[in-house]
Amino acid sequence: MAHEYIPEISVDRNGKEHEVQGWQGDFYGGKLGFWLFMLTEVMMFGGMFLALSYYNVLHAEDFIIASSHLNRLLGGINTVILLISALTMGLGLLKMRAGDIKGSKLMIYATILLALIFLMIKGVEWREEYEHGIFLLHDKLLVTSSLPFGQKLFYGLYFTMTGLHGVHIMIGIGLMLWLIKRINAGKVTPDHYILYWNITLYWDIVHLIWVFVFPYYYMMGAGHGH
Amino acid sequence: MDTNNSSARLTQKEYEKQRLDYYKVIIGLLLLTALTFVQPHLFAEGSTFLAQMFIALAKAWLIVIYYMHLKGDKLIGYMVLFSLFLVAVFFIIIIGIDAPSFQYGAESYITAPASAH
Repeated sequence: MAHEYIPEISVDRNGKEHEVQGWQGDFYGGKLGFWLFMLTEVMMFGGMFLALSYYNVLHAEDFIIASSHLNRLLGGINTVILLISALTMGLGLLKMRAGDIKGSKLMIYATILLALIFLMIKGVEWREEYEHGIFLLHDKLLVTSSLPFGQKLFYGLYFTMTGLHGVHIMIGIGLMLWLIKRINAGKVTPDHYILYWNITLYWDIVHLIWVFVFPYYYMMGAGHGH
Repeated sequence: MDTNNSSARLTQKEYEKQRLDYYKVIIGLLLLTALTFVQPHLFAEGSTFLAQMFIALAKAWLIVIYYMHLKGDKLIGYMVLFSLFLVAVFFIIIIGIDAPSFQYGAESYITAPASAH
């Protein structure tokens, strides 16, 4: 069923009918609203980066040592995966706008697949760290362990931020599945695609956050032994 | 890559052009990602953190301008720039002035574990 806009009619005290201004066709308003939401995301992760930077100043040497123990290969693979997924999502939107709905859906499925691979690799990485005794409320991160305090802070923030980023990836997968449902229902079309546009923006901000998370955590300690 | 009139349906020619732009941007992002990996062994070895953040900013610029379609979008562009300016001010004040002069090392839980107090 194609998306159809049915105007709302209000009647004034004289019985005269007026069409209520609808928001369905307000593409720019929808985009602006989503950008405001994304700025709240930037504030949330920005606050975490601020805390990270503060602790980094107080425990510079510990942060470099802890960073050098992270698996840069897996982190790097995930960086490339997210990068390609941003491309597939963007190409999908282009295909939708050009009228290629089937190709557009294929691109969304490709993005979901890449997102799942990202999560699997992140899982492997966390498991590896767990086996080395590094995990929240576990072994080396306990108050009683002899690991230098700065390193405990680094790993605590690492799990918190990459975990929160992972949650955003999961939300993104959910949004993409919902988007496919809306496309199948004819609610997202080549002429009415603000939902697709905004979900693509969401995926870009998830990618953008990783662009800073990766070098801050994984690359800071590169060239320091490990 | 995009204009303010982004709600319009794309012609085949526009689609081809924008797709090509996407490919150009991904090549740029991949090159910068490669630079991220080689930087600690290639240049600015003593300032890895600053070099990494500089590369990340270049990547972020490409993503925001092209993938997030801010090129040519003045209203949202200025809104984002203003927000980033505020973030930068807070960062500079807190990280540049407050953190290096931290005065509560003896009693703070962020400089030593709780058990040490």
